[in-house]
Amino acid sequence: MRTLHVEGNTWAHRLPARGKLLGLAAFSVALFLTHDILLLGLAVAVAGAVHLGVGLSPAEAFRRLRPVFVTIVMVALFSLLFNPLREAAVTVLRLTALVLFAATVTATTAVAAFIDETTALARPFERLGLFQAADVGLAIGLVIRFVPEILDRHRAIQEAHAARGLKARWTTTLVPLIILTLRDADTVAAAIDARGIRRH
Amino acid sequence: MNTRDLVLSALFTAIIVALGLLPPISIGIIPVPITAQSLGVMLAGVILGARRGAVATLILIVLVAIGLPVLSGGRGGLAVFAGPTAGYLVGYVFAAYTTGFLAERLVRPEQSGLVQGVGFFLAAAIGGIVVDYAFGIVYLAFAAGISLQQAFVGSLTFVPGDVLKAIVAALAGRAVMAGYPLLPQRS
Repeated sequence: MRTLHVEGNTWAHRLPARGKLLGLAAFSVALFLTHDILLLGLAVAVAGAVHLGVGLSPAEAFRRLRPVFVTIVMVALFSLLFNPLREAAVTVLRLTALVLFAATVTATTAVAAFIDETTALARPFERLGLFQAADVGLAIGLVIRFVPEILDRHRAIQEAHAARGLKARWTTTLVPLIILTLRDADTVAAAIDARGIRRH
Repeated sequence: MNTRDLVLSALFTAIIVALGLLPPISIGIIPVPITAQSLGVMLAGVILGARRGAVATLILIVLVAIGLPVLSGGRGGLAVFAGPTAGYLVGYVFAAYTTGFLAERLVRPEQSGLVQGVGFFLAAAIGGIVVDYAFGIVYLAFAAGISLQQAFVGSLTFVPGDVLKAIVAALAGRAVMAGYPLLPQRS
């Protein structure tokens, strides 16, 4: 599965993941506490410059962020119905800066580093007895492993429909897809336990 | 959480991801295609129950956070959480839990198909619409600097589509319960 991490060795890549996440959290708080348009505009400029230095082409960077930018614009337009222009401008600048900072963290941090951080974050919760911290990596691995299989299964169901002369519509493919996939759970769980992966 | 429950949850997350990768659904009579992912959240609650449904959606948002483009349209990464609609995404976990909670208590295998369908619909609608929108609207109001009433009104346009999804989730929940029941029974 493609990731949103961009390979590279820039200064941003070299920062530790935890530091970047804490930095992002701090920036978020600062952005929401600021109402000054000039400061927010500066934040957008800085965030944009940093994001463009990450290794993505501007076109690719924009393509990735377009859906979020669309929602920001739509929300700002909606807010213009009720609020003065200044408020809408503040919203657009603030959210844009936040999105650009967040996208930079995502692009410069490897998936493995994120998984390590999430596992470390989950460790204090182990004492609740609900799950083990290592389950995070296991669950993520399971999803990545099985998405292609589910897509194949959907294709097989569509072909089975075609072989019977039926048009494959969601009303007839969704339920078999779900049942066939969930039926694998017992086998997979047995394989995991047999390998002692969750033995702690 | 035992291994089987963890695997069921992770497999369901994989189903939700696959639903996002496949083209939007057109349900026969209605010509407007709907993206399947928020349907997937309702399905998780209706089929797996509260706990596993919540875990499945939690795994989904962890996948988004770590930088995998698993949301429909290839969206992913922390930028999604920075946008104004982030509340709806985080609300998925609570929506799935609520839907599962209600489904476990409202629906029994002995009930007739119609009663099961209505029960699942209520569970899917209250979880997937009421609860999810609560989280979405609160964060939207905060992030966009608009009032709660304005955020609420702005969200109303999406309700009809989500009611449709709740109907589909109810029908699918009934069918899966008939074919491969997984929903825990609690009273």
